[in-house]
Amino acid sequence: MVAFSFLDWFWLAAFIVLMVGSGVLFYRLGKRSEADFFLAGRGLPWWLPASSVYATHTATDTPMWVTGVVYKHGLAGLWYTFFSAWCAISAFVSTRIFRRSLAYTQAEWQTLRFSGLPSHLLRGWMAGWQVFMNMFILGWVGIAMGKICHYVFDWPTWVGLVFFSAVCAIYVLAAGYWGVVMADFQQGIIAFIVILIVSIWGVAAAGGPAAIIQRLTEMGQADRLNPFAFTGWFSGDFPIAWFLTMFVIAVIGGFGMGTSIDWYAEAQRIQSARTVKDATWCIWSGTALVLMRNAVWGVAILGFFVLYPNIADVKDYELGWFRLGFENLPAGMIGFFFAAIVAIHISTISTHLNLGAVYMTRDLYHHYIQPKASQERLVWVGRIATFVLLLGSFVFGSIMENITEWLIFALWLMAAGVWLPNILQVVWWRFNGWAYLAAWISNLVFSWLVVWVLPAFGVIPALQDYEQFWILMVLGAFIYLPVTFLTKPENMEHLVKYYVMSRPIGWWGPVKREAIQMGLL
Amino acid sequence: MALIRREWKAKEADEWTREDWFAIILSPLAYVALMVGTALSMLLLPAGFIILGAGIALTLLLVWVINPKLSTISTEYEKKQKDYIQQLEKITEWEATE
Repeated sequence: MVAFSFLDWFWLAAFIVLMVGSGVLFYRLGKRSEADFFLAGRGLPWWLPASSVYATHTATDTPMWVTGVVYKHGLAGLWYTFFSAWCAISAFVSTRIFRRSLAYTQAEWQTLRFSGLPSHLLRGWMAGWQVFMNMFILGWVGIAMGKICHYVFDWPTWVGLVFFSAVCAIYVLAAGYWGVVMADFQQGIIAFIVILIVSIWGVAAAGGPAAIIQRLTEMGQADRLNPFAFTGWFSGDFPIAWFLTMFVIAVIGGFGMGTSIDWYAEAQRIQSARTVKDATWCIWSGTALVLMRNAVWGVAILGFFVLYPNIADVKDYELGWFRLGFENLPAGMIGFFFAAIVAIHISTISTHLNLGAVYMTRDLYHHYIQPKASQERLVWVGRIATFVLLLGSFVFGSIMENITEWLIFALWLMAAGVWLPNILQVVWWRFNGWAYLAAWISNLVFSWLVVWVLPAFGVIPALQDYEQFWILMVLGAFIYLPVTFLTKPENMEHLVKYYVMSRPIGWWGPVKREAIQMGLL
Repeated sequence: MALIRREWKAKEADEWTREDWFAIILSPLAYVALMVGTALSMLLLPAGFIILGAGIALTLLLVWVINPKLSTISTEYEKKQKDYIQQLEKITEWEATE
């Protein structure tokens, strides 16, 4: 438990009022229309959604995760966080294509890219999956806050989960995405400054950079200073083969849409930017800041390792960065630090409340149930959806310990076998809705087999995660490629409409020629 | 003809050109250099400052290469955007009642 002085409580109360107030202030803008409630009217300059990208991907569990991998592997562990580099190429390829489509969500984009029954099946599936995923993420991040509150105040875990998510919901319910992005802007600034202060403070507590290097060398752990300290091509727990797989998944994945779980949140920021150029720089710069922040954390964790080198249990060392702050900052600054943790927390919560709600409202209610709904009604449905997500997150948070392993598996199976189809749908005109649907279904079957069933019966050995990725990718291709060629291409008129609107990269020759013939280009 | 084009007409900017490919290559390199450079600079290692400097230089080069093209695309696209939004709403309703 950490002792709070009057000044600490003052910081905390002032920050909560500031954060909630800055969101609620935009109530009038948020209620104007569905586009305002979910995309801030598509009129934001690049730096606003960029700060939201940064703030959203700075969650309470993020420093725990970064601490975990850097404490275990040293600076080379930073490559685990490099998955966010999918934005490197996406900013200049899929972001441009998606922004031009003007789809609210990735599920909506499926009906612009594909046509007929498969497009509807895909939209419904993706919308339902995203509602579930956002509830899960809210529960996941919420329970991390519960653990921190338990560490700081000795509160029962559920109190931290419920209280701060509920506080955040006030401005998301009132102002929708306007509230999210405006609160994210100041939360992002607060979080960045405090991360820098606490990390530098932590490095100083370990004796400074020179002392950390000297101490690690004396401990025979100098490799921890090398970001490229791998354990061989295929051997050890940090092989080059893993690094190359991660690099390909992350960077080449930027040609596609949905190759990273973060795409779905970023898609909303892309569409809220006022132009293609603003969309490009918002996700590029927001992600650059995320990567640099991870590096700052990484060095602070090296300091933590020097101070506490023999912690064996991940549950004990994953709170390392928080401990640096709470154990080393002077009285009066602890509240400032905790307020920043609250900022970090609710910036992520607000995003996923609004993001889950857009899928529920736009893709399920507006598309399937009430296509002629008024703008006022759609905003109210958005608010109800937000509230449902909030309640669902409490349920997920309360059972998180029991389901985490299964849900990590669920995340993995959503990623591996559909990675290439997520790219093909963007770059290849002939890839159709049936093939994409087949990829999802076959991936569901193959991932169970490869990850759980076959190793359990000794048919194949237990595989490393990067090995599973390549195997699932190849197995999936045996299904969706034949399906592509055995089913008809998408309706050409539909493809031309999509092509003229989005101007995609890749193999679109026949569609482009048709568009020219029709006088559309 | 210059290696990197700085003046664009709207129709030409809509095509995928070598400037896009330069951006695609420069961008991940910039990310790697910014992340590794920041970490090593925090440790006050000289290599860190050099790599971080390279990351900043790559970022500036990236902006110099691609920004004129993005500006042209955006200006042209904004004119069409209003019509596109109306079209999109029609598609949404048409798809739903198909």
